[in-house]
Formats: sequence, C-alpha cells, structure tokens
Amino acid sequence: MKVIACYSMKGGVGKTATAVNLAYWAAKSGLKTLLIDLDPQGASSFYFRIKPSSKKWAKRFFNAYENLVKHIKASDFENLDIIPAHLSFRNFDTLLAGFKKRKNRLKRVLKGFNKEYDLVILDCPPSISYLSESIFNASNLVLVPVIPTPLSERTFEQLMAFFEENDYPQNKIVPFFSMVQGQKSLHKATMEAMSARYKMFLNTTIPYSSDIEKMGVHKAPVDVFAKSQQANYAYIKLWKEVSETTRKRG
Amino acid sequence: MNSLPENTWELNEVAKNTDILSEISSEFDIEANPGTTSTLQFYDDFDSHLWKANYLLCQVNKQQFQLIDPSGCIDEVGASSGARFWWEFSESQVKDKLQSLVGLRAVLPIASINLLETDFSLRNDDQKIVVKGRLTQTLVSNKIALYLTLQALRGYTKYYTRAAQLLKPFIKAEIRHFGLRFLLMNQDIQALEPKQSALLSLTEDMRTEQAVRAIAIAMLDQAKLYIGGVIADTDTEFLHQFRVNVRKLRSLISLLKQALPASMLDALKPRISSIASKTNKLRDLDVFILAQDSYRAMLPANFESGLNELYHLIEKQRKQEKNKVARYFSSTEYKNDVTACAAELSQNSVFQTPMASKPVLQVVKKLLLKRYHKILAMNAAINSQSADEKIHEIRIEFKKLRYLIEFFVDLLPKKRTGKIVSEIKKIQTVLGDYNDYCIQIEFLNGYIDDARIEMSKALSGLIAILYQKKTEERPKVESALTDFFTENMTIEFDLVFGAAEPGDSK
Repeated sequence: MKVIACYSMKGGVGKTATAVNLAYWAAKSGLKTLLIDLDPQGASSFYFRIKPSSKKWAKRFFNAYENLVKHIKASDFENLDIIPAHLSFRNFDTLLAGFKKRKNRLKRVLKGFNKEYDLVILDCPPSISYLSESIFNASNLVLVPVIPTPLSERTFEQLMAFFEENDYPQNKIVPFFSMVQGQKSLHKATMEAMSARYKMFLNTTIPYSSDIEKMGVHKAPVDVFAKSQQANYAYIKLWKEVSETTRKRG
Repeated sequence: MNSLPENTWELNEVAKNTDILSEISSEFDIEANPGTTSTLQFYDDFDSHLWKANYLLCQVNKQQFQLIDPSGCIDEVGASSGARFWWEFSESQVKDKLQSLVGLRAVLPIASINLLETDFSLRNDDQKIVVKGRLTQTLVSNKIALYLTLQALRGYTKYYTRAAQLLKPFIKAEIRHFGLRFLLMNQDIQALEPKQSALLSLTEDMRTEQAVRAIAIAMLDQAKLYIGGVIADTDTEFLHQFRVNVRKLRSLISLLKQALPASMLDALKPRISSIASKTNKLRDLDVFILAQDSYRAMLPANFESGLNELYHLIEKQRKQEKNKVARYFSSTEYKNDVTACAAELSQNSVFQTPMASKPVLQVVKKLLLKRYHKILAMNAAINSQSADEKIHEIRIEFKKLRYLIEFFVDLLPKKRTGKIVSEIKKIQTVLGDYNDYCIQIEFLNGYIDDARIEMSKALSGLIAILYQKKTEERPKVESALTDFFTENMTIEFDLVFGAAEPGDSK
C-alpha cells in the first residue's frame, strides 16, 4: 500500500482538486483506493457528495485503525472509498500535541489498511503543524501543487527548508505546477526559474480551468462532466506521472 | 473490514422491470442503464469434467471463450468456433485448464442462456449513490425468470435494507448462490447428468451369482453409453472407455465363471469377444495418432516427409476404420449380440454351481488370494531372458487382479485395499510402458513397405528408437516386479484377504 499526500502550506492552490481527480483515476486504473479528507472544510467529501458523520470523532481518529474503518463510505465509483472530514478535525493539532510519538501516529493507524487498499490519498489542510509532520512521516510521496507566482515559490522554499531542518527526506516532495495560465508571462518566468532550480518538478502542469472550478457545481471529478476538456487530460497525465514516480520509488 | 450485504432474489412471475423500479422511486432517485442482452453458450465434455471441478466454459461470441470459476471470469481466449479440444485453443489459462481437466475429451455445447441485464443505481437526497442493483431476466426454454440483485455500499447499508424492504412484495425466493452456475442448475441439462450406470449396492453376504450378474449388467450398460460418441467420432475417449468397460466385463465373467451357469458362459463369451475384437484396429490407430507429437520429436527433420506420408496413410486408414466401426455399432449383428448379452445377464440367478450361492465376499477374498499367488508364481519364472510374451501375460494378470479388487472394493477394507491398489497401479504403469513399446514396434513393422522408401525409412528410424527405449525399459520391469513382490506384500494379501468368512471386520 502506498500513501500519497496532497499537501501545501498555502490554501487555494488546487490540493483538493488534485486529491479528488487523482483518487478517481487511481481507482479507475484498478487500484483499491482510499481518499482521506483531513481538511475540516470537507471539500473533497463534498465533491463526492458524501456527508460527514454527525458525531464528533476527531478524538478517536488517531487511536486505532478500527475507528477509521467505521467512517469509510463508498464513493459512486468502483474501487474508491472515502473517509469524509468532520469539522472536529480542526482540533487535530491540539489532539496530537497530547500524544507521545505523535509524528508516527498517522502512519500507525494507516498500516491497518494495508490489506484492503493499494493506495491511500490524503487531502491535507493548508498548514504546517503537528498534523503535517505526521503526514510527512506517513506518506511515500508528498505531492505539492505550486501556482507559478512569487508567493507560492516562497511557500515552496519554506517547505523545502522545513524538511531540511527537521531531517525529513526531501525526495518525498514531488511538486507540480497548478492553476497555470500559459498566457501570463509571470507564470512562464516563474515556471522556468523554479524548474531550473528544483529538478523534482513533474512535467505535467494543471491549467487554470473553469472546468475544475465547476467540480463544486457537479459534485464530481472532472472526467464525469468534462470528459474531453483540457483539464481532464491534464489530470489523466498527472496520474500517469505520479503513478510512475511512485512505482520508481518502490 | 466486514463484508457488505449483497443478495439476489427471484421475483414473482408477474413482476416487470418498470413496476419494480417505480416501486423504489418513491424513496430513491433511480438511474438505470440501458439493458444489455447476451446469449451465452456453455461447453463441457461427456463426463462434465469442467462442471464437476466448478468451472464453466462459455462462448461469449463466435471466436471468444471465457473460463469462469466461482470468483468470475478467470481468462478469455480466442479459438475458432469449431474448437473442441484443448490444443485448438490459444496459449492461455483456458488451454491449460482444459488440458488438465478434460484431457483427450472434446468439449461440446451443453446449454445456452439468454440474458437481459439492467444495472441501476439508487441515489439519496444528496444525489449520492447509496445502493447498486441489477435486474436479470433469463429466457430458458420459453420460460422467463426475473432476478433482482441489490448490493450495499460501505457506509450506506441502511439504504440497502430499506430498498430490500420496498421490494419485498415482488420477491418470490432468496437465491443463495446466484450466478451462471445457478442459472444452469435450473435448466435440467441432460449433458450434466451423471454418466455412471446405476449399480445395485453389493452386500458381503449377497450370493455370488447375483452379485456378478448385477456388476456385469452395470458394465454392459456403461459400455453402451459410449457408443453414440464412437459413431459421431466426438473424441477418442469414447472408444477407449467402451473398450475398458467391455474388457472389464470379460474379466469379470472369466474370473468368476464358476459362479455362472455353463449355458450362460457359452452364450456370452463368443458374443463379447466378437464385440471387443471389432474395435482393436481403430484403437491402435488412435493411439498412434495421439502420440504423433512425441514420434515427430524422436526423428530428425530429414525424416519429416516420410513421417508425413506415414501419418497421411494412417489418418486415411483411421477414417475408413472409424466408418467400419460406426457401421458395425449400427448393425443388426451388434444389436443382436448386445441384446442377447443383456438378456442372459438379466435372467434370474439359477445357482447351478456350488460357488453361485456362496456369499460373494467370501468367494472374492479367496479368489484374490488365489490370483495373487498365481502372479507370484509367474513372477518367480521371470528373468532377464524371459520372452516379452511372459511380461505381457503377467501384465494381463495384474490387470485382472486390479479389476477384481475394483469390482468389489465397497466390500473390502478401504484403507489397506487402497494401499494395495496403489502398489498395483505402480507396477501396471511400468509393465504398461514396456508393453506399449512392444505393441508400437509390432504396429509400425506392419507398415514397412518397400514401395514407399521415405516412409519406410521413417518407420525404421522409429522402430530402432522404440527398440532402444524398450531395451532400456526392460531392467525397470524386473526391478519393479522385485519391488512389488516383497514378503510384506504377501503377508498383507494374506491379512487383508485371508479372512473370508462373512462378518469379518473391515
């Protein structure tokens, strides 16, 4: 079982859209896939029309795999299950602060899914916190959407520095450009500069697209309502590249 | 994780797809796909080997076959629509499974099913799919049946329960293991009926003549089952199995002749012998043709044209011989002989001989010991110089001994008899291999023809190789005989078959 985190310290960069569409394509390729919505806003659960549990259960999240199992919901698609977010997930950091060995907490509970799933995708909240550290430990890849602007570049630099300072292997970080507007010279220039500086950027870029925004209207992955649009092809390509990268890393 | 409920129900005859879906639409939004229709043709061999091993071979279109096990389709393979034997399928799991399960048997159509499948999803108020389902309509012999399958989704089982409740008025019965196998089981397929002729259950104090007659009739009936396949030339196993059963029948009558009236033996023996002899040549030709690949592998490429000529000739002869055998099985001569045999065997026992009225187990045990000691004595006379004829004779005796055990196996101690039979099988394999070389050399010798130079060269090459193999095999025969006839085996025969009185514990 592999774990891929869709992560960025910055909000609004396309993490959830990436998590939703990658999970969809992974499942479609035959992998038994579990998408865990860790962001209390619950956007990825919303995109799959899944309501969160009515009970607060964040306190039990890190206790045992059995607690997570109870909250799994089938999506409308073959091979794809989801653990929806709950507003109480906003307290994850406080909860983790009270645990010993908190950095390994998420890794430990996810281990239980080894037999059931081939892939776990984590849709992460935008922060750098105890939860993020737990995510970095649990994941094989940390997939980072980067909007090609100076502000995003700065955030990415901060993430690289954080990994270095805390001895996390930087090769877990797999960035790609997101919400790209090819006609903007600033985007072009930032992409060129960052690609030259960070060789780990994926070749695939996700364009800025109204079809991706419309996911909220259709409550579905792009493929369901915009099959032959550029954004859909971009996610197919992204999934292929991510799955190849995961395979190469073993 | 716990598995999720999934159930199939047969629906009432009056139920219609539209009624059912409108019933659930009161609480769910329904999304139904257009129905798909298919006609599936299923194949199996005469002995239903695939069915018995829990497999289905299904032709999904003209040149595409699927092999299905209880978990679903395990492989799909292309083959011409006339494919009947494993070697006619492309390299695949289908081919491998057919080779191991069906062997030399041909697979033939056994049944077909017409299906109309309509998949649907039920959505809740959030427009989330909460239950998946399928309506399956089958058409079998003008009878329509309708099945409903509902599948719960993780996290939404309460909706599944509700949908099942709503549909309750339409339900006729719950189906435990729904699938193609279930649909076929409901068809009363004649091809899947057991092919074993019913045998009266033997008891140890049954009188010998009665028991022999009962077994003999079952053997004859069993042999008759294969005639259709021989005439249609479905596969070579029909003739082989026919001959095995006739051979067993002859052995039974010969081994227990003292329990039967002399007049009956006079009537049966020449008739059975005549029936058996009519098929000898065809079987020899079949054996040679079936071994074609191994014979071709024995000779270098420059013998190929000679071998082709030989096989061409043999195939031609086989065709003629097969027609001859088919004509014979359709003839009055055969029908009269077989009817006369059946009539003789079906008569009431007359108990004219002392053995006839003795309890069968007592007679059989005594006979088994006697036959064993006869073979033991024959073995003592065999050495490296003995003629092939002597090896052939001892092989025949082993065959009769095994048949005798197998006829009455239900009355004999199961475990210890089983061990003895397995030792007999081992020696029979060695003796059989040796005999095959002898027979094939003789068979091929018969084809040497000075006018066909290339063919005769290939024949001489094959004969030389087979002679070499036969020579290499001979010491194995003596060593296998030595291994079989141990002091322990004689003691075991005495212990297992020595106590012949009725009521001996098994």
